Amino acid sequence: MAQNETNLDDLILSLNSIEVMYDSVLLAIKGVSIGVPRGGMVALLGSNGAGKSTTLKAISGLLKAERGKVSRGDIRFDGKLIGDISPQDRVAMGICHVIEGRRVFEHLTPDENLDAAAPQSMSRRKIASEKERMYEYFPRLADRKSSQSGYLSGGEQQMLAIARALMTQPRLLMLDEPSLGLAPFLVAEIFGIIQRINKEQGLSVLLVEQNAIAALEIVSHGYLIENGRVVMHDTAESLKKNSDIQEFYLGGGEGKNFQDIKHYSRRKRWLS
Amino acid sequence: MDWIFLAELTVNGALTGLLYSLVAIGLVLIYKSSAVPNLAQGALTMLGAYVVLAFSHNLGWPLWIAIPLAVVIMFFVGIGIERVALRRLAGRPIVMILMMTMGLDIFLRGTTLAIWGGSSRSLNLGVSYDPFFVGDMLLSRIHIVGAAVAIAIFIASVLFFRTRMGIRLRAISDDYLASWSVGISVEGGVALSWGLASIVAVATGVIWGEVQGVDQSLSLLLLKGLTVAVLGGLDSILGAIVAGIILGIMESVGSFYLDAIVGGGSRDLIVAAVLILTVMIRPHGLFGRHDIERI
Repeated sequence: MAQNETNLDDLILSLNSIEVMYDSVLLAIKGVSIGVPRGGMVALLGSNGAGKSTTLKAISGLLKAERGKVSRGDIRFDGKLIGDISPQDRVAMGICHVIEGRRVFEHLTPDENLDAAAPQSMSRRKIASEKERMYEYFPRLADRKSSQSGYLSGGEQQMLAIARALMTQPRLLMLDEPSLGLAPFLVAEIFGIIQRINKEQGLSVLLVEQNAIAALEIVSHGYLIENGRVVMHDTAESLKKNSDIQEFYLGGGEGKNFQDIKHYSRRKRWLS
Repeated sequence: MDWIFLAELTVNGALTGLLYSLVAIGLVLIYKSSAVPNLAQGALTMLGAYVVLAFSHNLGWPLWIAIPLAVVIMFFVGIGIERVALRRLAGRPIVMILMMTMGLDIFLRGTTLAIWGGSSRSLNLGVSYDPFFVGDMLLSRIHIVGAAVAIAIFIASVLFFRTRMGIRLRAISDDYLASWSVGISVEGGVALSWGLASIVAVATGVIWGEVQGVDQSLSLLLLKGLTVAVLGGLDSILGAIVAGIILGIMESVGSFYLDAIVGGGSRDLIVAAVLILTVMIRPHGLFGRHDIERI
C-alpha cells in the first residue's frame, strides 16, 4: 500500500470511501477509495460483479440512468467535489467514460459518431481537425468512416467508442473492459494507442479490466476490487509479482487444481 | 373506363396522402430523436388548430399573426411536455413512455373539449374553393396548398437531421446511455424534438382545420399518421412522404371501386389493411432502418 499517501494536488481524480446504492437497498460498493494521478494510468482489476463498472459509473454520473446513487463518501475531480453535477457537465469538465460493450451509435456512420460527441461549443474547423486526429490514431476507422457503424467489426467498434470519447476533449478517460471479446492482437493495438495518447497528450486514464495481464503491462498502478471493496493497491510491477494476483488473475502460480484455488480464494476473502 | 376520372382520383388521393404525411412527419421527428412513437401527435395537431383559432376568431387577430404566435406557443408546449411528463422517464422502458404519450393524448383531448366544446368550428385560411382544373382534372386548392406545406416541411426536416444538432438527436434515439456518456443532453434533445413536432402539429392542424373544420375528430388523424409512419418506416422522413402518397392513392382509388361492392366505409378498411400487412410483412416499413444484427 505504498502509494496511498500521494499528495491530493497531484491527483486528477480521487474517490474517498464511496458507497453506491441501487434502488436505495442494494449496496454495490462498500467504501472504495482510489486515486488517479495527473497524466497517470491506473487499472481497476477484479472479477465479474466486483463493482468495477459501478465505480466508473459513480465517477461519470451514469449511475443516474440505473437508479443508483452515491450514498456516502466523496468524489473529487481536479480538486472539486462532483457528486451533484450532471453527467453532461462532468463530460464538459473533462471526464469521459467509455461504457462497457462499446455501444457505438449503430445507425450513424463513424464520422457522424464523432460529430455527435463533439462539444456543442466546438467550432466546425476544430471538429474537422479533431476528427483528422482520431483517424490518424485509428487508421482502421478512416477506411470505414462512411459505412454504418453497426456493421463494423468488434475491434473497429471499440476503436470508434474510444475515438468518440476523445472527441469530448477529456482530461480523464475511463475505459470499461475495452478488451472484451477482442483478439489479442487487437487488444495490443488498442492498448498501444491508449498508451501513446497518454504519453503525447498527458491524458489520465482509468482502466477497468478483467484481462489483468494486458492491463498491468500499460498502467503504473493497479487496484484490486473484490465484493465492492478495494482489497489490494500497488504498483503494476509489484502486482505482477504478487502470488495471489498471479494465482487468481494472471493464471500463473504453481498449477493448483481448480478445487484448491476456489477454496483458497474463499479463505483469502474472509481474511481480507 | 374514364381515364381522366381515374387520374383525378389518383392525384387527389396523393394530395390527401401528403396531408397524412404531415401528421406522420411529426411522429417521425420524435421517433428519430427518442425512439418513441408519439401517440399524442393527433391531439397536438388538434391543439395547434385550436390555438390558432383562439387568436384568429376569439381575439380577431389576422392569421399572419395568429399562426406564428401559435407556432411559438406550441413549441414551448412541446418543450414543456418533455420537462413535466417525460424527463423522469428518460432511460426507462419504452412501453412506459408510450403509455405516457397515450395519457397525454387523452389529457389533451379532454382539455380542449372542456375549453372549446365539442362543436365544429371553421378555420378559414382564405384559400378559394373555386374549381381548379389541371387539364381536365378537378383538384382541390387547399389540398394543393397542404401538399406544398408537407413538401416544404419534408425538405426542412431532412436538412435538419444533417446538422450537428440533428446528428445528436439521431444519436440519442440510437442509445440513451452512450449519449449521456459523451455529454449529449438527452433531455434537451428529446425536448427539442417535441418542440419541433409541435410546430409541425400547428401546420398540420391549420391545413386539416381548413379541410374538415376544427373539432375533436382532428385528433383521430393520429391513426392515419401512424399508419403512414409505420408504412414508411418510423424513422424515415422520406418514408413518411412516400408512404403518405401511397396510402392516399390506395384509399382514394381503392375505396372508389370497393365502395361500389361493399356499399361504403371501405376507406378505413384499406387503412387498417395497410397497417396490419405492413407490420406482418415488413415491420421496419419501406425505408425504415433494420435492427442491426452482426453475425
